[in-house]
Amino acid sequence: MIRTVSLCIFVLFFCCDILYSKELVTEDAYTVIDVSDGGSITGHVTCTGDAGAPSLDMYAGWELSKPSQVVSEKIVINRLNNGVRNAVVSLSNIEKGKKGVVPSVHPVIDQQMGIFLPRVTAILAGTTIDLLNGDEELHNVHTKSVRNQPFNFGMSYKQRISKDFDYPETVKLSCDIHKEYAWIVVFSNPYFDVTDRSGYFEICDIPEGTYELRVWHEELGKQEKEVIIQARKRENIAFVYE
Amino acid sequence: MKPKGLFYKAGFLSAAVFSCAVLSVGMRPTTASAIEIPKEVTEEGKNVYKKYCSACHGEEGAGDGPVSRSMIPKPRNFTRGAYKFRTTPSGSLPTDEDIYKTISYGVPNSTMIPWDILTEEQRASVVPVLKSFSEAFEFREPDAPVAIGLPLRPTERTILEGKKIYEEKLECWKCHGVEGRGDGPSAGEQEDDFGFPIKPFDFTTGKFKGGNSPSDVYLRFTTGLNGTPMPSFAKELSDEERWYLTHYVMSLVQSEECSKE
Repeated sequence: MIRTVSLCIFVLFFCCDILYSKELVTEDAYTVIDVSDGGSITGHVTCTGDAGAPSLDMYAGWELSKPSQVVSEKIVINRLNNGVRNAVVSLSNIEKGKKGVVPSVHPVIDQQMGIFLPRVTAILAGTTIDLLNGDEELHNVHTKSVRNQPFNFGMSYKQRISKDFDYPETVKLSCDIHKEYAWIVVFSNPYFDVTDRSGYFEICDIPEGTYELRVWHEELGKQEKEVIIQARKRENIAFVYE
Repeated sequence: MKPKGLFYKAGFLSAAVFSCAVLSVGMRPTTASAIEIPKEVTEEGKNVYKKYCSACHGEEGAGDGPVSRSMIPKPRNFTRGAYKFRTTPSGSLPTDEDIYKTISYGVPNSTMIPWDILTEEQRASVVPVLKSFSEAFEFREPDAPVAIGLPLRPTERTILEGKKIYEEKLECWKCHGVEGRGDGPSAGEQEDDFGFPIKPFDFTTGKFKGGNSPSDVYLRFTTGLNGTPMPSFAKELSDEERWYLTHYVMSLVQSEECSKE
């Protein structure tokens, strides 16, 4: 009997210690509900500027041989419909909605010929990202975040590093050796999308209500629009950068 | 009840309490054995910070004090929780002892002097003030310090192996230069997390910023320097390889007579 009591005391203290050492940080208010007849938003992000001459972020490339030098593009604009690629569209003030699924297959950001591929990755908080180096030379991966733990690792050829991103934040990922960078945008809810090469985005299963739809692009900046979502209806929204 | 039985039971209870106490102590973040670093911001800490630190590091710890304008490297901006000299892994927050150590020993080759003119209590009281400037300490806990292990003895072979890593495997010369003078081809364009230009370290000066012992230099390769382009090579190099590199970069140090010539 005394042994049991001793054991209980021991276990109790042990649990207290674990709780003490790892405080659980509560996430900002997003409640998961069952969305059976939600509405959806589709649309395009376009730029009416001079689509023929996108501004280029020239890669220094002092070390690579000529044919393997690449230019990474800060702004990629489709010549057919002026669609802007790599803009992040999200619902900024949604408080309840569908359950977000953290992908079991980790999204990959690869470094090929000195640039990050893809340039913009949007993920749900809690997702693990795999960072790769596909070049036969040393790169580094350096993030400058406050909430998510920043890191800075050297990466040799074919090396793979997995990193968790647990808090909503926009994180800049850079290679200091080659002055290249990419963006990781972390959200607390699953209502976001990154535009494809024609500037198209879609967000589905949104509960009825009025929301702020936000678009962010690294060069073109932010825009917001109010949208009213009705059950089983599709809203078409167009964002235009001047 | 037999007196002997009572004795045993008391024994069990005291053993349980004792092991709990040992565990409790063991699982807390380790603190300096010699000096108690306060957990909360104290009046004394605020006063010491205002009097001795804020002229460079700014009232709010943003590294923008009135004297900072003329300084290179710039005083540390504490608002992001990025501390260069740590015993914790890359990106992690520093332990209280790491901050205390930097305050006490200063940073050579910069305007940060060793603050040994202050008492130990005064130095310790500043630590929670610095931490209070960044929200990072509310979201994250510092990771456990990395294990240093047994240092290798420097020999000609270890220095040669280190040279191979420096020149071929990691290509450290791209920033730090072939002779370790901090004049590599990428050196000119480096900047820190706050957008200020930063010079790769010149090994020939011999004044290593995080401390001059081999284990200090080894720690820089293992933990990296947060807030700067210098990455951690903990995943890239084995334990031994990091010692090789330590021995090599320490062999680049030139004595003052040599550098005068």
